[in-house]
Amino acid sequence: MTISPSITSPDRRRLRLVGLLPWLFAGAVVGYAILVGGYAATVVSFALIYAVFVTGLNLFMGFAAQVSFGQNAFAAIGGYVSAVLTASHGWSPLPAMALGMTAAVLAAAIIGFPTLRLKGHYLAMGTLAIGLIAYEITVEWQSVTQGYMGISGIPPLSLAGYEVSSDRGQLVMLALVVAGGAFAAARIRRSRFGRALSAVAGSEEAAQALGIDVARYKLMAFLLSAGFAALAGSLFVHVVGFVSPEVFGLHMVIVTFTMLYVGGIGTVAGPLIGALIVSLLPETFRAFKDYQDLAYGAALILLLIYAPRGLASLFSTRGRS
Amino acid sequence: MADWSYIPQVLVSGLGIGCVYGLIGIGFCVIYNASGIVNFAQGAFVMLGGMITQTLFSRHGLPLPVAALAAVAAVAALGVAIERIVVRPLWNRKATMFVMILATLAAQIVIERLTLIAVGDQPKTLPVFTDLPPLMIGSVAIGTQFLWIVGGSLAIVALLAAFFALTRTGKAMRACSINREAAALQGIPVSRMLALAFALSAALGAIAGILITPTQYTAFNVGVPFAISGFIAAIVGGFGRPFGAFLGGLLLGLMQALAIVVFGAGLKTVAALSVLLLFLFIRPSGILGAAK
Repeated sequence: MTISPSITSPDRRRLRLVGLLPWLFAGAVVGYAILVGGYAATVVSFALIYAVFVTGLNLFMGFAAQVSFGQNAFAAIGGYVSAVLTASHGWSPLPAMALGMTAAVLAAAIIGFPTLRLKGHYLAMGTLAIGLIAYEITVEWQSVTQGYMGISGIPPLSLAGYEVSSDRGQLVMLALVVAGGAFAAARIRRSRFGRALSAVAGSEEAAQALGIDVARYKLMAFLLSAGFAALAGSLFVHVVGFVSPEVFGLHMVIVTFTMLYVGGIGTVAGPLIGALIVSLLPETFRAFKDYQDLAYGAALILLLIYAPRGLASLFSTRGRS
Repeated sequence: MADWSYIPQVLVSGLGIGCVYGLIGIGFCVIYNASGIVNFAQGAFVMLGGMITQTLFSRHGLPLPVAALAAVAAVAALGVAIERIVVRPLWNRKATMFVMILATLAAQIVIERLTLIAVGDQPKTLPVFTDLPPLMIGSVAIGTQFLWIVGGSLAIVALLAAFFALTRTGKAMRACSINREAAALQGIPVSRMLALAFALSAALGAIAGILITPTQYTAFNVGVPFAISGFIAAIVGGFGRPFGAFLGGLLLGLMQALAIVVFGAGLKTVAALSVLLLFLFIRPSGILGAAK
């Protein structure tokens, strides 16, 4: 829904300012982390990596209103291709990352073609199965993934001969990637492609009647989402220098869905805001490590019931009646 | 390489675990039929059934049958609690199917973590119900626990069939699954049926968990794999058909047992999930065809 034409221009300016608030908040958090460095930088780095993943999830689930519980499979593909090629075969990180993303998008095309014909809980369970199969493979294929032991000694990213290994350097790089991702999401939403997705989200039958190739657009959104997931997986292994199956397990599914709902599903700023809030809040009571997933689960239930459109929707200039 | 002489023995154990998958699958169908909801917290019921029995039996010294009955009752009560706290508010807000799945999955995680905090992460097990030497048929050994699992499951299935066919409440639940609006117009309290479906489904999950625990172990995180196997059983049998789900469970148990012989135990989850994907892609309505 768009703003009604009767709205006066000062109101519109006020709305635009309100729309900037989430970005100012995100900028302030990242800026603070860059200044302070150390542990704060590590926490915010993880948040930004998750933001990349959730941005992709949001394209598929928020914009196109589809369901996937299995995007962690593509993060695992991106992450493990990067890890194996650089740590075991001496590739440099950027080509490894590119190959990982290509492999994930290819896998998504092969998986998505039959899977996306499914609807409702069949689609939900089918995608959950894909995520779990990927997890089992990373555990069992020990000759390549080294099972639960994981792969260590993964080199940091290097751009044009300059190795991004300091906390602050990585943070700046990740912030640029996230900004690029958010910009792309904003552009996509306003493009012909994005409008087609929101038509599909509204009603598949109506979209079909308007001449939109529903199956093709769903698959494209799925591939894009898988590309973002693989990028996030690859960024994770290069930033942390280590990967194990647990990184891309069921925990990741729950955490990223919480982020998507905290931030606001279907909004452009939502993924980043959600990722920052969900990553920062547990840090304030780290002592209760066992209680973290408990808190995520409970928070998710409460949000779904009481604020299904998330926090960013409070600031959104769009989508209000 | 696989040793083929094990096959009959493996099939027997596959049949046992298949019965358990079948009971869990029926649990999915009972809730789905009453409400159209797929309850992803089903695995928590299975885990808690074994876990509460184990705690009452080992820690508090209750006799095994008493502990098992208490566990089934407690888990059924928990089923009603989930329906009241998580499902009902979303139902009243007309939440989408996907939000419902996500909320029940989150409930699963919450229960898992609470269990972890309460009893720790050590795997626990129960003694077999009757400690007798296994029956030998040729070279195949049939443990008494296997007989308990198969006998118990068949008894439950028979009781359920009688419940749905003969009692007023059972008939009312079937009416809800055919058409909720029409059932409401007939004066059937649809929302009470939903709570009842959660209680029934939770009790089924708990019984499955109690039956299987003596042959393996239980820990806070065994729920999700069981739930997925039960869901696969329900899909294979034709979603929404309780007895199809039991059949699907048996089939899945056998296929998984064979997969363990051929590929090794590590890939048994992958094998089960591949069965799911195969059915979803080729025959999503299952063996018997989906209900409705």
